[in-house]
Amino acid sequence: MTLSVENFPAAVLPPHAEALRQEVKAFIAEHAGALPAHQRARSWSGFDVGFSRALAARGWVGLTVPVEYGGPGLDPYCRFVLVEELLAAGAPVAAHWIGDRQSAPLLLHYGTEEQRRTFLPGICKGELFFCIGMSEPNSGSDLASVRTRAEKTEGGWRLNGQKIWTTYAHKSHYMIALVRTSGTSEDRQNGLSQFLVDLSLPGVTVNPIALGTGDADFNEVFFEDVLLPADSLVGEEGNGWKQVNAELAFERSGPERIYSSLVLLDLWAQLLGPTPDPADAARLGKLVARLAPLREMSVSMTALLAAGKSPLTEAALFKDMGTEVEQQIPEEIADAVAARPDFVPDAELMRTLAYIMQASHVFSLRGGTREILRGMIARGLGLR
Amino acid sequence: MNDDNNILVDGFRRLIADTVTPARVREVEETLSPASLWEALHASGFLDMLVPEDAGGAGLMLPDIFPLLLVLGEYAVPVPFAETMVARGMLSARGVSAPEDALIVLAPASATLPFGKLVTHALVARDDGLHLVEAQGKGDDIFGAAGALGLTSGASVGRVPGSSDDLMIGAAAVASAQMAGAMSRMLEMTLRHAGERAQFGRPLGKFQAIQQQIAVLAEQVISCQVAARTAFSGTSFDPVRVAAAKCRAGEASNLVCGISHAVHGAIGATAEFDLQLYSRRLKQWQLAFGSQQYWATRLGMARAAPGNPNTADFLRRNLAWEIVS
Ligand SMILES: Cc1cc2nc3c(=O)[nH]c(=O)nc-3n(C[C@H](O)[C@H](O)[C@H](O)COP(=O)(O)OP(=O)(O)OC[C@H]3O[C@@H](n4cnc5c(N)ncnc54)[C@H](O)[C@@H]3O)c2cc1C
Repeated sequence: MTLSVENFPAAVLPPHAEALRQEVKAFIAEHAGALPAHQRARSWSGFDVGFSRALAARGWVGLTVPVEYGGPGLDPYCRFVLVEELLAAGAPVAAHWIGDRQSAPLLLHYGTEEQRRTFLPGICKGELFFCIGMSEPNSGSDLASVRTRAEKTEGGWRLNGQKIWTTYAHKSHYMIALVRTSGTSEDRQNGLSQFLVDLSLPGVTVNPIALGTGDADFNEVFFEDVLLPADSLVGEEGNGWKQVNAELAFERSGPERIYSSLVLLDLWAQLLGPTPDPADAARLGKLVARLAPLREMSVSMTALLAAGKSPLTEAALFKDMGTEVEQQIPEEIADAVAARPDFVPDAELMRTLAYIMQASHVFSLRGGTREILRGMIARGLGLR
Repeated sequence: MNDDNNILVDGFRRLIADTVTPARVREVEETLSPASLWEALHASGFLDMLVPEDAGGAGLMLPDIFPLLLVLGEYAVPVPFAETMVARGMLSARGVSAPEDALIVLAPASATLPFGKLVTHALVARDDGLHLVEAQGKGDDIFGAAGALGLTSGASVGRVPGSSDDLMIGAAAVASAQMAGAMSRMLEMTLRHAGERAQFGRPLGKFQAIQQQIAVLAEQVISCQVAARTAFSGTSFDPVRVAAAKCRAGEASNLVCGISHAVHGAIGATAEFDLQLYSRRLKQWQLAFGSQQYWATRLGMARAAPGNPNTADFLRRNLAWEIVS
């Protein structure tokens, strides 16, 4: 078994998707154009309810959700164009990001008709925000070992346990949680299920965790005898592992895995001007050369997803390389900026650079670590 | 890729696999006489893939020949087959036909000239365009792969419009595709070796440290293949797309050679083992037609040029697959 260019068929964004681009650019210029670079550099971590609502009013949240559930029913190519523009500009998309990227497709695929009718319109209006409850204090990379447990009760489920690193749980309405419904951690992938957890229910406690950067994006979330209604189970009981993995192909294949440092790169490029010195041009070119095939791969996976495929190994390979470039961008720029100690750098560049230098550590952790992804690639190559 | 193209590539792969055995590669490297191998390959008709149909060729386009160039790289084909194919295409597009039995390289300014010792002709740039000249390689064959350090060129036998930069871009594109092919063979050999060689009672490929290294190897190979494929999209070589492809190939060669040789251990470096056939060629190509730094600088200048609001726009406009309509 091997992996090659054949795993990433050449693909282009079709004209109907490209037709959206200028409208999106105009929208972003109007609604997020005034933000300074160091804020735009927060990229998909920037939380702004107003922006998400405005985007939703335009019909651009839950882009692939069918019309009957309140979305515009556009295809993944259109979503690629929208997301690419939002990320390139550093628009604050975090509020609707998880619902749009993961929860809506999950509910479309595995949810009941009633769940779709209940949740999808709210996601598309920018009124319902979601978070992902996978990680726990003792279950990081080894996700199958989660211990948070839902037990059947009369008419529903009783939830106990703890999630951690839950991005924007403190500002979300619902969590989609992966929990154990039967067996023990030793049963690994068997006996796991996904639930829609209303975070306003009694017994749910959300505590923000401060980051070294000064931001507080993620949280610990405690569940103490939280009573969930029966219809909060998503998909089949015991099928949670498979469902989570289907989600991961979406989570790892998009442009957000290559563009997290783009606002910094573009601010630096702008300050270099049209005729940079050759050393700076070479740094810039090297980074662009690494990004170029990655964007091609992301477009290719969009085509695969549109065709109903689930390119999991491909997405792992792409994400590992993508986050590596995202981390190399601040490294190169930091080295370039301080190569001339007598030169006073632009203050906004320094703010943006400092933020990305600190934040970039986590780029290769969130969504599955480097070692885990490489393990998946090795499996795809037949080594495991 | 459509079915016709698959049949073409499969046929070509069979031809190359049958004709260009590792023994044949070594023989050409040692004797520097390509005649019998060239005859066999020439007879296949594949040299005229890019020649227009009305001039007796197959009338194919760059995207069609890209998979063929990958195959040439995968088999360490020791003669300038891809180079001659592309040169014949460039010439015939302007109504100039190359001598039937010419072994041609594209020869822009370059620190090394792969296949230089074997050529009969070269495309070179002069003030009034590109000339097909009689040529002979000169200088040492520093990688033992029938390369040269330069050329002694003689009479012009044909001229077409074009600049030295066109030549540089074409030569770098052809090198990038073959480099990607060579790298994919190194990945395949490394996977096989990791499955066969056991230490500490287990195949090497069962050790996580080795698995992680090979995963990186695979990433680099695919990144280069994708970049090179994009350089072969559209109707002609584009400087920005080629810059990304050659920059990537140059950079990735270090990791690819490093990891595959490391996983092979000592045996990989031996003359008897085939791995070094590929790594020697990759190293030679790194030094040919502009290094990573050269192309990175050009690419960075292109990105910095006015009219590119941001990098995503630049990637989309200049570095995406282009459909030939
Ligand atoms: C910014 C950010 C946002 C996040 N948001 C969310 C969220 O919204 N929801 C959520 O559920 N989670 C979230 N996470 C958690 C994230 O998914 C985990 O951090 C990740 O899965 C790794 O788990 P861990 O941090 O416990 O590290 P560990 O699993 O303890 O890993 C530590 C190190 O050991 C390595 N390692 C572990 N196992 C192996 C092995 N078998 N072989 C080799 N090396 C190994 C890892 O690669 C890593 O380098 C977020 C993380 C970050 C940084």
